[in-house]
Amino acid sequence: MISEELKKVILDELNLDDFDIKDETTAPEVPGWDSLNHINIIIAVEKHFNVKFKGYNVLRLKNVGDLQKLIDSSKGK
Amino acid sequence: MSNFNIGEAPTLWQRWSLNAKKNSDRDAIIHWNAGEEPYRWTFQTLLETAKKFSVRIKEAGIKPGDVCAIIMHHNPMFYPLYLGISRIGALPAILAYPNPRLHPDKFRQGIEGMSQRSGLDWILTEKSIEPLIKPLVEKQGSTIKSIFFPLEWDINSPIDEITDAEIETAALAVNPSDAVLLQHSSGTTGLQKPVVLSHNAILNHVANLSDALKLNDSDKVVSWLPLYHDMGLIGAYHIPMAFGIPTIQIDPFEWVLAPVLMLEAITKEKATICWIPNFAYNIFADKIDEEELEGISLESLRALINCSEPVRADSNKKFADRFGKYGLNPSALAASYGMAETTLAVTLTEPGILITELTVDRNKLANGIVEIAEGNSASRICVSSGKLLNGCEIRIVDEKRNNIKDDLVGEIAVKSISMFDGYRNYPEKTAEVISDGWYFSGDYGFKHKDEFFVIGRKKDIIIVAGKNIYPEDIEDAVNHAEGVIPGRVIAFGEEDQIMGTEQVSVIAETKSETESEKNLIRMNMLKSAMAIDINIHKIYLVPPRWLIKSSAGKPSRKANKERLLNGLDPQVWSR
Repeated sequence: MISEELKKVILDELNLDDFDIKDETTAPEVPGWDSLNHINIIIAVEKHFNVKFKGYNVLRLKNVGDLQKLIDSSKGK
Repeated sequence: MSNFNIGEAPTLWQRWSLNAKKNSDRDAIIHWNAGEEPYRWTFQTLLETAKKFSVRIKEAGIKPGDVCAIIMHHNPMFYPLYLGISRIGALPAILAYPNPRLHPDKFRQGIEGMSQRSGLDWILTEKSIEPLIKPLVEKQGSTIKSIFFPLEWDINSPIDEITDAEIETAALAVNPSDAVLLQHSSGTTGLQKPVVLSHNAILNHVANLSDALKLNDSDKVVSWLPLYHDMGLIGAYHIPMAFGIPTIQIDPFEWVLAPVLMLEAITKEKATICWIPNFAYNIFADKIDEEELEGISLESLRALINCSEPVRADSNKKFADRFGKYGLNPSALAASYGMAETTLAVTLTEPGILITELTVDRNKLANGIVEIAEGNSASRICVSSGKLLNGCEIRIVDEKRNNIKDDLVGEIAVKSISMFDGYRNYPEKTAEVISDGWYFSGDYGFKHKDEFFVIGRKKDIIIVAGKNIYPEDIEDAVNHAEGVIPGRVIAFGEEDQIMGTEQVSVIAETKSETESEKNLIRMNMLKSAMAIDINIHKIYLVPPRWLIKSSAGKPSRKANKERLLNGLDPQVWSR
């Protein structure tokens, strides 16, 4: 399940107060999360969680749940 | 003089066939997929498969002159399909694949808008989006006769040789002045303008552009651009295919998620030429981690051409600064000015020569005068889009369309041997922009010595990451968002220096006064724009009767943008 921390990083980057983001949420469902902003969200996530993603791993993300898993595996959880 | 001899093969099919004969084993298309070995089409294998597709296309009932919309993901079979459509004399028209955020009704509305103008006859697409497209065919009065799924076709079985011979005979009899493809300008709700290009227009452009670029047999183009965009379709697909050199095609959706892909492709394939819009320079310079650049070499690149949105000096600089240590030659940075209506380019930086930048007096420039800045005067760096290509002419004109002198700012009017023949079924729109054979671009610029500089736009069009967006589309979408006063909305472009592009901003009048109501309205507006696949970057809410009206009685985009950006008005809520 995605953490509140990840949800907050995404919402902050998109300048949104709240939006129902779950594991299965995909980028096109969230206001402002377009292809141009995607890279900014990934960078914000990397910075916040102090992790580095490989471009190919980012390509495989299907939804926010996958992003959470990528963070967890990068942090060795 | 160009070493590209049009007379040798005066139509595209003849040209591709000639390339397949001359350089049968040379790579034509290197279809890139992240993390996989690329799929390679040689000129010969591509042509052989295109022939098979053309037979299936003819058997499906598609006729010469029919318009075939292709809506497909990045797929290696796209290229022979496209060539196959062209071989039978039908017109391929590549359309954008529907983004999941685009509302199905809006997607269909866009296609309908196109079909009314262009007379789309057939849609060739993927089985997975059949439910989305089928209602378009079934609708009464639709020009679309049927949908086909060419990826499901059996192209490995032997083809009917008689049909193949008939197609070849007809292909060889095609007139070079005949139409060969149809491109659509941006827009989502029927504002698209269909541009039809002939074999002559394209092949003349190949001759003139290859001459200006000094193209040679060792060149290799690399591109992540979508093929529904003129820069991708002409610059990175038709030019190399006709000239007979390889083009590396990267999936635009993959590139935007992992921009390093293009740098890897340049490194592995030793690519030499690339067309990209300005924002991509910022992405490359700022958004790729140093660790990912291990092993990257840009030594082979000899022309990285900035085109399709205003060229920004700081974007060029940050790219050159970052990639110098990866072998980038600073003189590889180039720029071009062009448009679909002239096939593609009108001007281009001379290859191997450092791009020209002029630091001019900003205040004088605002008054239309180009003067080199001195001392402490406020300045602006203008980046040259290069020199005229052969076969092209430019006039800089005043509001009455009279010529003005060098170093004065005016509208750019162009003429080209590769000019389009007018927008298809849109004479009133054609008449607006064409006069005495000149295309009035709506762009502002100036000539300095023998180079051209583009500095702004007369039109209200917004260019986000190389994509043209009509403010009318956004205003229509947002007008009915709950809380917004209908008809009291304007959309405009606002410079985003970090991303190196414009972003969409919207001003809307509302009666709501509280913070929570305004946040709710903002969310409604964001969602309304999402339905047409537009991302609003900034929203300004203002009280009733705030917006300044133009003489026509509608809110003026220009006047309201200026009012908003020039002063601190406490009545303006923004986020």
